[in-house]
Amino acid sequence: MKRIVLLAALVSLNPACKRTAREVVVYTSVDQVFSEPLFKEFERQSGITVRAVFDTEETKSTGVLNRLIAEAPHPQADVFWANDPVRPFLLVKRSLVEPYRSPSASDIPATFRAADGTWTEFAARARVLLVNKKRVSPGEMPRSIRDLANPRWKGETAIANPLFGTTTMHVAALFTTWGEEEARAFLTALKANDVRIVSSNGEVKRLVATSEVVFGLADTDDGYEALKEGAPVDVVYPDQEGMGALVMPTSAVLVKGGPHPDTGRKLVDYLLTPDVERRMADSAAHMPLRPEVPVPQGLKRVSEIKAMQVDYARVATEMERIQPWLRQWVGL
Amino acid sequence: MLHREQMLVLAAAGAIVLLSSALPLGRLLTEIPGAGAAALRILSAPRPWLLLIRSLMLATAATACAVAIGVPLGLLIARTDLPARRFLWMLHAFPMFLPPFLLALGWFQLLGREGFLGSEVTDRLLFSEVGLVVILALTFSPVVTSMVALALLGMDASLEEAARVAAGPWRVATRILLPAARPALVLATIVVFALSVSELGVPMFLRVDVFPAAVFARLGGIQYEPGEAFALVLPLMPIAFGLLYIERRLVGAGSFAVAGLRGMSRAPIPLSGWRPTLAAASWSVAAAGALPLAALALRAARGGGFGQLPQWIGQAPWTSLGTATVAATVIAAVGLVVGHGAARRLRGASMLDALAVLTFVTPASVLGVGLIAVWNRPETSALYTSVAILVIGYTARYAVVGTRAVASVVLQSAVHLEEAAAAAGARFWRRLIWIILPVNLRGIAAAWLLAVVFCLRDFETAVLYYPPGREPLPVRIFTLEANGPPAVVAALAVAHVLMTALVLGAGGLLVPHRRPE
Repeated sequence: MKRIVLLAALVSLNPACKRTAREVVVYTSVDQVFSEPLFKEFERQSGITVRAVFDTEETKSTGVLNRLIAEAPHPQADVFWANDPVRPFLLVKRSLVEPYRSPSASDIPATFRAADGTWTEFAARARVLLVNKKRVSPGEMPRSIRDLANPRWKGETAIANPLFGTTTMHVAALFTTWGEEEARAFLTALKANDVRIVSSNGEVKRLVATSEVVFGLADTDDGYEALKEGAPVDVVYPDQEGMGALVMPTSAVLVKGGPHPDTGRKLVDYLLTPDVERRMADSAAHMPLRPEVPVPQGLKRVSEIKAMQVDYARVATEMERIQPWLRQWVGL
Repeated sequence: MLHREQMLVLAAAGAIVLLSSALPLGRLLTEIPGAGAAALRILSAPRPWLLLIRSLMLATAATACAVAIGVPLGLLIARTDLPARRFLWMLHAFPMFLPPFLLALGWFQLLGREGFLGSEVTDRLLFSEVGLVVILALTFSPVVTSMVALALLGMDASLEEAARVAAGPWRVATRILLPAARPALVLATIVVFALSVSELGVPMFLRVDVFPAAVFARLGGIQYEPGEAFALVLPLMPIAFGLLYIERRLVGAGSFAVAGLRGMSRAPIPLSGWRPTLAAASWSVAAAGALPLAALALRAARGGGFGQLPQWIGQAPWTSLGTATVAATVIAAVGLVVGHGAARRLRGASMLDALAVLTFVTPASVLGVGLIAVWNRPETSALYTSVAILVIGYTARYAVVGTRAVASVVLQSAVHLEEAAAAAGARFWRRLIWIILPVNLRGIAAAWLLAVVFCLRDFETAVLYYPPGREPLPVRIFTLEANGPPAVVAALAVAHVLMTALVLGAGGLLVPHRRPE
């Protein structure tokens, strides 16, 4: 037994038990594989230790958000880096955000910055249709998200669970753009058309790439990944003759009452640099908002596509409002 | 009547169980009235109930398959002349010490569309209910194999020897050996069912709808309503109580060995002409369990994942090892007091033991939210923001490993030693240190090792509240799995496999060996 106690004591002295005074705590729904190298670079440049919490694919963008809300009486995070522009508004509404106008954001177009400094957007994705080229002739190529409800494709399309991730935001954006009646009718039509509701956009990509469905709704980075993997996939920016494609910048906010506000500001400053936008374009296929940041081949700029005109604050409000109905629609 | 000193020791152990388990669950219970109408609406909708039935059916199927694999294999390993049966046992048992989703990841490398043996058909089968049941059955069948084998190795040899004078091997196996192993088999069945019904990582990875995933989803949705999530958990309570009732009724005071290997030296039952066939079948099952690990290693090697390991592994192995070791020590200490009390039928101890079982069956995500609610406050901030919160969570979830394992061991030890010491005037504390602990040391050390491994393989408890920058290795593998390079994810999984093998190897050296008789 002595040996066991000794071993326990030795292991408890391991480096994981140490804490660093100059540190910053960040919660992020941006994929760990893309965000962690940036945090390491920040550590290298600043000497500040980054302690991060990442989301899983299945609860993307709501797992850490809910943890922030659960911890609200005693915040533990300094920075929230959201993978979409809407979630931060849910924190703003709950007064969980500390306004901060970062000097790094001065060259980001004003439409992507909150006037009161509560949020700043950068490195964007868009919602796209991933189409399996082998199963669709050029003449039949879907061009609009309304094609998901087209009986021609009954049982042959997929979307991610709209209770999570970017699909929630997309559905809410449809409610703000089309209005209640039309949006509900569309979702009801999707059900009638046997659209497969799967766990994540990654799963939509997998189903399209493997020809299990003809096309599905996902994000630009999923499309970019599929192309990199050599999948027989076309990336279609939907509704370019109509309402446009939904653009979703990532968003950085400073958490109110976080334990390290100064280092939190430094991390926000770093995330909003052009270099981070460039790195996100290279590694994660995120479209830079700054016009001068280069994009890799195959990736479009935000200015090159027709974007849906939405008010992200309204989308956030709508997203919360439609949840009970949406849960019923999903069946939970 | 309990002596005052025994009451105090039991109260101290009970305080640990109550603080770690009852407090978070009780805290969420208070949220239900607030959730009110919404909770009622959730419970009156058909979908959660259908999902629960579906989960129960899948868990039943996985358990049935695990029993079908485990019982004959346990019998063959413990009591026959199967070639290299010790090594076979080790190879077959090892996957049960790993996070099940990691094995699912390995099967994906093997049978996914781009897997080494993959095709469209294998991919569809893998990402289906069939895939889920097969993976869970292969992962958990070693629980049945091991418990049945240990029970048979611990049984009185004279019974079997007497039967073999008159009866053939088949008759000895079915009439003597298996009935003797019944308590172990029942307990193994309950454990496998509980593990299967509460499993979150594998169904999430395979995109199969199950009840725990629905509860997790309710906590991850845009409207954070822990009260509603806890309302969803309520239907699980009768199931947990049912399992507890079955365990108490059918296992109860049934005595069986959990750490005895004496029987390995007994004359084995000869398999004669069946030996090659049964050996091939047994080795095939063991190899099937190990196959996904080989696939992970191959994927990591081919994709250069091992070279990138230093870049991605971080402090996760240290966090895993440190927290698992400390938590297992707490669990073993609590198990010693509560498990001993439960085996000796002390009322308070039995209730604590029951609470440990209930916490184990409750979906880990709900326990996680309860832990945040209880421990994230200024006065406990030092605990909540450090790895201590992982230790608290592991203790809550896996206290059952300590209490049940120690209870089983104590049931086998003679009570008269304790009675004699008590009659001689030894107080409880002295009896605990000088009689109960030394007499059961081997079993308690085995329980400690088992608890270490359970904590190491945990994913679903820690994922909701792990301290920033201090994620255990399974959590890191799961979060990196989202769009992470497959070779790196595979290399991290192999690192976890090696870490577990090292812990088991070191643990095997630390666990005291039985003296030759």
